[in-house]
Amino acid sequence: MIRRPNQTRTIILLVCPALIFVLVFFVLPLIFLLSQSVLPEDGGFTLSGYLEFFQSRVSWIVYLRTLKLGLIVTGICVVMAYPAAFVLARMPPRRRSFLVSLVILPLMTNAVARTFAWLIILGRRGMINQTLLSLELVENPVRFIFTETAIVLGLTQLFLPLMVLPLVSAMENIPDDVLEAARSLGANRLTTFLRIVVPLSSDGLVLGATLVFTGSVTAFVTPAILGGSRLLLMSTLLRQKAVILFDQQAAAVVAVVMILTTLAVNLLLRVGRVQQG
Amino acid sequence: MRSQPFVMLLLAVLVLGLLGSTAVAQDTQTLTVSIWGFNLDVLEENVFAPFEEMHNVDIVLDTGNNSDRLARLQAEGENSDIDVVHFATQFTHIASQEDLLQPFNPDMLENLDELYDWAQDPLGNGAGVGYTVNSLSLIYRSDLIEGGITSWADLLRDDVAGFVSIPEMSTTFGPAALIMVDRALAMQAMDEGEEPGEINYDADLAWEALPQLADNLVTTYIRSSELTTLVQEEEVWVAPYASFAIGNLINAGHDLSTVVPEEGVVGQTNMISITAATDQVELAHAYIDWFISHDIQEAEALDLIDSPVNATVELPEEICALLTCGEMLDTMIVLDQAEVSDRLEDWLERWNEIMVR
Repeated sequence: MIRRPNQTRTIILLVCPALIFVLVFFVLPLIFLLSQSVLPEDGGFTLSGYLEFFQSRVSWIVYLRTLKLGLIVTGICVVMAYPAAFVLARMPPRRRSFLVSLVILPLMTNAVARTFAWLIILGRRGMINQTLLSLELVENPVRFIFTETAIVLGLTQLFLPLMVLPLVSAMENIPDDVLEAARSLGANRLTTFLRIVVPLSSDGLVLGATLVFTGSVTAFVTPAILGGSRLLLMSTLLRQKAVILFDQQAAAVVAVVMILTTLAVNLLLRVGRVQQG
Repeated sequence: MRSQPFVMLLLAVLVLGLLGSTAVAQDTQTLTVSIWGFNLDVLEENVFAPFEEMHNVDIVLDTGNNSDRLARLQAEGENSDIDVVHFATQFTHIASQEDLLQPFNPDMLENLDELYDWAQDPLGNGAGVGYTVNSLSLIYRSDLIEGGITSWADLLRDDVAGFVSIPEMSTTFGPAALIMVDRALAMQAMDEGEEPGEINYDADLAWEALPQLADNLVTTYIRSSELTTLVQEEEVWVAPYASFAIGNLINAGHDLSTVVPEEGVVGQTNMISITAATDQVELAHAYIDWFISHDIQEAEALDLIDSPVNATVELPEEICALLTCGEMLDTMIVLDQAEVSDRLEDWLERWNEIMVR
């Protein structure tokens, strides 16, 4: 397609504000962060911050735990969001719009209030324990909070909408004819879903998984309240380095490791999608 | 043109207004105070408004927690517009080490001599004056713990396992709790009649016992509000608590008892300092002197905001019982913040090692 000069100018003008904003408030701080992790205050260049990080047993435990929780939450969100998104995408527009607004409800509530609600649900005197006790399934209240399970529950509730919305958007573009054609050629529902719906919605999957994983590994409030201070994650380790020890280089290292990890996961997802395609 | 007189009048008002505000701006000085964002309405009534009137000054507040405000001070350095800063001792220590503060002049503080010795110059280098004291003591569920709690070492008892919480090492009172457990263990190991020695800032015994204490913990806490929730939800039966949180803990609605442990309580002063960047040195001294004066200290105590450090303040018994004052001061241990700060980085690493197991 040949683009006229006027069109190109219009595109540049439209993109410029966002581009400038991203450059000034994201790319430049990112470069500053990266430089802070390798350029010590007394000058020179060093990778000692990274060496220290990867030589520390605590850092490895915290890093792997964060990675594990991020992957679990992303996996659960994928499994839960796919069928929901499929049904939503096939609904009449008005009903779909109403249900989508219900899906995004968790994102519209305050993170601290939402997490404290979990504390009340999962606590010793909480709804779940009261039910278990009244059904005489347990003799004493079970401890749910301050565990990795509690963090996974809280993060899944928080980030599920970020998986559902891109999937709904991607599935809306799958024509009904394609699904009918697959069925008429003998594919059962599961085969149609796996061979037709999943590949055609992979753009939404990559976007959703990236958002959920990034959100999970960088979340602070939910892990801090539901996991307690003992369950250190990368975000809480970053807080320790930055605001307790005021070690900006070590804090920058943790931040860069987190960014590189999310970029790597995004890249893996994209590679997986290309190979599948 | 009927609107012309109205436009002229409006212009005249604007010009007069501008001239007036310029005149006020020339006469009125500004003092920027960096402080926590709590109880500001009471502080406004007790402290800021009378001071503004007396000195014809506008107080501008910069609010936030210790670390946020310190980070701002670090980032702005000499260009900071902060004149006076309120910090917990450990943050004053950091700011002082980084030359962000200037020493106060004792001759410019008329009320300084009225303060308890430990509040006059808590860091010993003139970096700031202590204006209130918080204490770390123990609180427990008297309906659930048989025999009660009497010592910091009781946090290690088997019958409270799974229901203990302590402040996170990265918090103001984290190192203090560990040091007191150490003192308790040292006193237990002493012969009868032997007097406890100086505080052991290396806390060897507590570090040895920390894995056992970690097994007893349901979690650690960072903010006193977290402890209140934990107590309210019956997750925690016994914990060290900061005295300023007692009101919320009592409102948590359980049978709670506070105790002054056998080994004593830890005192932690909050300090006011003058920033290195300010050129309002005289006014800053006047502000500090006002804050530590008998009347302000008494007013703040009666409103249950700050425990007084001015020794001339006498409080009713029922008020004193809710603050850090009276007999509690006799057993209060004030830690050397420099000793604690020097160890903090190493301690956080060791703490993390044990807690991530």
